[in-house]
Amino acid sequence: MRYATREGLLAWLDRLAQEADLIAPRDVDGHVLYRPVHSGAEVLLEYERPELPAKEFLFPATEVILRIEQRGKDVTLEEVLPDRRQVIFGLRPCDAHGLAAIDALFLNQDPPDAYYRHHRERTTLVGMACTRMWDGCFCTSMGGGPADPTHLDVLVRPAEGGLYILQPVTPKGVAVLESLPLAEVRGEPRPIPVEEYNPPVPVTPTEKWRTLFEEQRLWMRHGERCLSCRICTYVCPTCRCYDVVDRVVDVRPGRVLTERIRVWDACTSPNYRRVAGGHNPRPTNWERLRNRFMCKFCYYPEDFGPLGCVGCGRCIVACPVEIDITEVMEDVAGA
Amino acid sequence: MPLTNPMRPYRGRLVGIRNLATGIKLFQVELLEPEGRAAFADYKPGQFAFVSAFGAGEAPFGITSTPHRGPVLEFAVNALGHVTFALHSLDVGDPVGVRGPLGNWFPMDRLRGKNIVILGGGIGGAPLRPVIHTILDRREDYGHLTILWAARSPDLLVFTEEFDEWRSAWATDLHVTVDQAGPGWTGNVGLITQLLEKVAPSPENAVAITCGPPIMIHFVFLTLKKLGFAPEQMLTTLEARMHCGIGKCGRCNLGEKFVCKDGPVFWQYEIAGFLEGFL
Repeated sequence: MRYATREGLLAWLDRLAQEADLIAPRDVDGHVLYRPVHSGAEVLLEYERPELPAKEFLFPATEVILRIEQRGKDVTLEEVLPDRRQVIFGLRPCDAHGLAAIDALFLNQDPPDAYYRHHRERTTLVGMACTRMWDGCFCTSMGGGPADPTHLDVLVRPAEGGLYILQPVTPKGVAVLESLPLAEVRGEPRPIPVEEYNPPVPVTPTEKWRTLFEEQRLWMRHGERCLSCRICTYVCPTCRCYDVVDRVVDVRPGRVLTERIRVWDACTSPNYRRVAGGHNPRPTNWERLRNRFMCKFCYYPEDFGPLGCVGCGRCIVACPVEIDITEVMEDVAGA
Repeated sequence: MPLTNPMRPYRGRLVGIRNLATGIKLFQVELLEPEGRAAFADYKPGQFAFVSAFGAGEAPFGITSTPHRGPVLEFAVNALGHVTFALHSLDVGDPVGVRGPLGNWFPMDRLRGKNIVILGGGIGGAPLRPVIHTILDRREDYGHLTILWAARSPDLLVFTEEFDEWRSAWATDLHVTVDQAGPGWTGNVGLITQLLEKVAPSPENAVAITCGPPIMIHFVFLTLKKLGFAPEQMLTTLEARMHCGIGKCGRCNLGEKFVCKDGPVFWQYEIAGFLEGFL
């Protein structure tokens, strides 16, 4: 175990910000968000669950996947990706768990996603354990926990005496800790225990979800009031659907520059599954919401392994009409 | 950046464009890079590809050509949306991108020796044309070929200039119908399912292959069933507005299945077993 003082940790972050793109929890007009930072002073060390997951730094909400330059009838295609190392500091364990779920599809299913793989390889995940569970959190039911190091490169745990315990998990984690000034400690300062656990939520096997697909009343009870606003997928650390569009960025005589961009998409969007000619196999809100829940608890695990939910609770807090994924899970368990 | 980026299209050039039907054009694409030509050296009937109109985007289309008839790729495109309108505005010589070939294909080997019934509705005939060409070009490998070709109106019938070739082939029948007749139309009027009941091909040693709007596929399957066709004697190809073609973007899911990776070609019994229907 390695220990650091608050000052030591902040000095290390100052240094990381020089050497790499550093992403860390920051106060943005009263909102806690993972954002690029340039010094340790900007970084929050005591903070609740950031309002958005960190997936945007590995799977950007809008990402240029191709630069297309047309000169007359000639076309050149260029893939441009940042080469700088990236460190995400202060990642909550649930958000690392969410990336592991995306890995199962974007890295482990052939062919891998070239862009996501590139970002994943250049990124080191330094997590910060939670000392309590926040509003709506149910990570402990989803195979995670407030101090779960599993999907991180380093886990940082707040400890007694204002110290921090740094636990390297992977070789990448060992490497990133090399520049950390270590604190001299006596004995073994203990991590601050989790002060409050939320009640567990039942996780039902995929086979049972499958049998409930046609239970229209169950899905309508939750999904009929859905507004198709798509915020649940936006705040979700595992939702990964995308759209690809071209955006002309510069037009000059004899030359057109286009960016092909990939943008987040949402299965709760009315046009998501519409086909050419206008037919839509999921024309209603409740059918689309059923797809979202079925994807998370049945399709995704059957197709790719992990569940499509890590229990971060963000969709519960964000939903404007109080659709609660844990209530759906309870209903499915009790059906 | 790794060399193998499945989202990067091969560069191509339009070498031919012709009107197939009202609002539908046939685009002929020559691939410019050796890598692209190698990738498309041996694509199969039923596979699809993304075609880019640079500056507007890319969209998936069933490939309507067959490699043994030449290296030029052909796509039938109905002007319905942003990308397809942009494609329609292009001229011969203009650049396009092609990404593929993607998806599974019609099991032409398994169909050898069978009597084949093809049922194409509108532009849904486009992905079936390579099946017809494969059968016509290896005519002795297959049994009787019955083609039922339909459209909403006569001006929407595709590949009409090939009707003579199809009709004159050995042991091949072509039946054409339109939902609504137009001026000068003297042929059948009615839905493809009505024509199917009238033609009533025997299910004996036969396989039926259909593509068209979802509602048409649904009723063609029902009518085929009435005629005695079993689920393992009916094939179709589904479509979706995909964005990756490699099982990542999520856009084409039907339950836990992906049209792009598990399909687009499916047996009727596979579809019948889907948790979520295509209709």
